[in-house]
Amino acid sequence: MVEAILINGLVLGGMYAILAVGFALVFGVAKILNMAHTAFYMVGAFLILIMTIMLGFPSLPSIVLAIAIMGITGSVIYKLFLDRVKEHPVAVMIISVGVAILFQEVLLIGFGGHFRGIDPFVRGFVEIAGIRATYQQVIAIATSLVALVAIRLLLSKTRVGNAIRAVAEDREIANVMGIDVSRMCVITMGISAVLATVAGAVVAPIFMVHPLMWMHPLTIVLAAVVLGGLGSIKGSILGAFILGFAETAVVFLVPMGAFLRGAVGLSVMVVVLLLRPEGLFGVVFEEERL
Amino acid sequence: MYLEIKDLTVLYDRAMVLNGVSLTVGKGEFVSLVGPNGAGKTTLLRAIAGLVKWEKDTLKGTRAGRITLEGSVKFDGEEVTNLPAHEIVRRGLILCPERGRPFREMTVLDNLRAGAFGCKDKKVVKENLERVYHLFPRLKERENQISGTLSGGERFMLTIGRAMMSQPKLFMIDEPSVGLAPKVKEDLFARVKEIYEQGSTILMTEQDVSFAFDLAGRNYVISKGHLVGEGTAEDLLADESLRKTYLGL
Ligand SMILES: Nc1ncnc2c1ncn2[C@@H]1O[C@H](COP(=O)(O)OP(=O)(O)OP(=O)(O)O)[C@@H](O)[C@H]1O
Ligand SMILES: [Mg+2]
Repeated sequence: MVEAILINGLVLGGMYAILAVGFALVFGVAKILNMAHTAFYMVGAFLILIMTIMLGFPSLPSIVLAIAIMGITGSVIYKLFLDRVKEHPVAVMIISVGVAILFQEVLLIGFGGHFRGIDPFVRGFVEIAGIRATYQQVIAIATSLVALVAIRLLLSKTRVGNAIRAVAEDREIANVMGIDVSRMCVITMGISAVLATVAGAVVAPIFMVHPLMWMHPLTIVLAAVVLGGLGSIKGSILGAFILGFAETAVVFLVPMGAFLRGAVGLSVMVVVLLLRPEGLFGVVFEEERL
Repeated sequence: MYLEIKDLTVLYDRAMVLNGVSLTVGKGEFVSLVGPNGAGKTTLLRAIAGLVKWEKDTLKGTRAGRITLEGSVKFDGEEVTNLPAHEIVRRGLILCPERGRPFREMTVLDNLRAGAFGCKDKKVVKENLERVYHLFPRLKERENQISGTLSGGERFMLTIGRAMMSQPKLFMIDEPSVGLAPKVKEDLFARVKEIYEQGSTILMTEQDVSFAFDLAGRNYVISKGHLVGEGTAEDLLADESLRKTYLGL
């Protein structure tokens, strides 16, 4: 039981963490709450489903292609719909929810409301220190970790990463450094959609793929970034793992716990907002003016 | 003229912050802009740097976005009035903001790298970095420190250093001495002088009139969005009413 919670918690927490990082990144840089974030995850998973199951492509190229397509889609959606309204939080909210629902409807029309499985990319089990896990679970955990490390390196070591952090901290001064703020937001949105697709790729073979799968992770991602403190990437990763484990524990330990999954994230969000509105690593946003 | 500003007018909503300001800076000149609090000095530099336009464009449709911006800015023979802020920097016109404004959660080195964003040639970036470290050895010592924890003087060095990384032709320095101890101030002005003598062109705003007049060859006095005086330090100080009303000397 404990082993099962550990493995499943890591898988779930890792996936939530990649999703939460992408969401937090867009919030920090473009200052928008992108409610369509987990819809990218869903569409990414569907693309992989279409390519592997329906078209019979091999797994790895399908995933790479899906990631590329979604990266571009994320950037284009930002550029077309969100960039021009980003100073109006309500408009951003409505438009991004609209985009998510649009994806959902298109998928419902195309695929119906069925739950579909994707075959594991690799079959079989391993035993590490007496704990049994499927290869697919190990791959999921490892991929999450690699993605988190990669995004960290991208932000800290590269020229564009440096510029993205600059925009996140002070847009006005970033401008004066010759950084095109709007372009950095477009790039960040692309990166965020790439991360969402990676999350979709790692869990698609473990969970089911269906046109409503964006909703539950969205509440979790919101809860994770609230828990970690809006704008803190480190905090949102921690928040995601806490929620991943909390959810897994509820599913395994509480009778009929599977039905309570959705409540976990929401309860955590409410409690944190009441006790510590700024979250665990909360930063107060104050954009200074000259 | 190197930098030529004509009839620059800025209104925030209905508040007139700049009222038809025209000024020029010649190549290799050191020009100061002095005036009391709220005179519009910062706004003038922001408008030249393209930030007022950026603010207007990004905040379009919100209350804070009701900004009127008129007039023209020419730099090095090119009209830059309607260029986006990040393009203006590429032309060599750079703003060193009030209180330094480092990216506070980034290290000193990362701040300098942000300044070098427009420069893709790694060799040139490295050379510029060495120049900055040569001028401000303190920055090299503090390379890996988070810049939010720098002292006021160090913050100023970082701002100038960061600006130098983008290979500027004209520095606009906004109130460098604000909030600094007299000792630090003196050192700071020596640095500004050094940079100027190395062949830069400088437009500097300053509340400390005596310091500004010491350094600059020509000065403008601004009050309530109007230019009320222009000339060398002697000219301005000779004008009794100007001296008493606007310079507080
Ligand atoms: N975004 C804005 N919205 C409304 N009013 C503004 C805005 N920015 C500046 N102002 C007003 O414009 C006037 C000039 O401001 P500015 O910052 O340019 O003055 P300053 O000469 O730099 O003063 P200081 O010496 O105190 O820095 C002030 O009265 C200020 O309140
Ligand atoms: Mg000012």
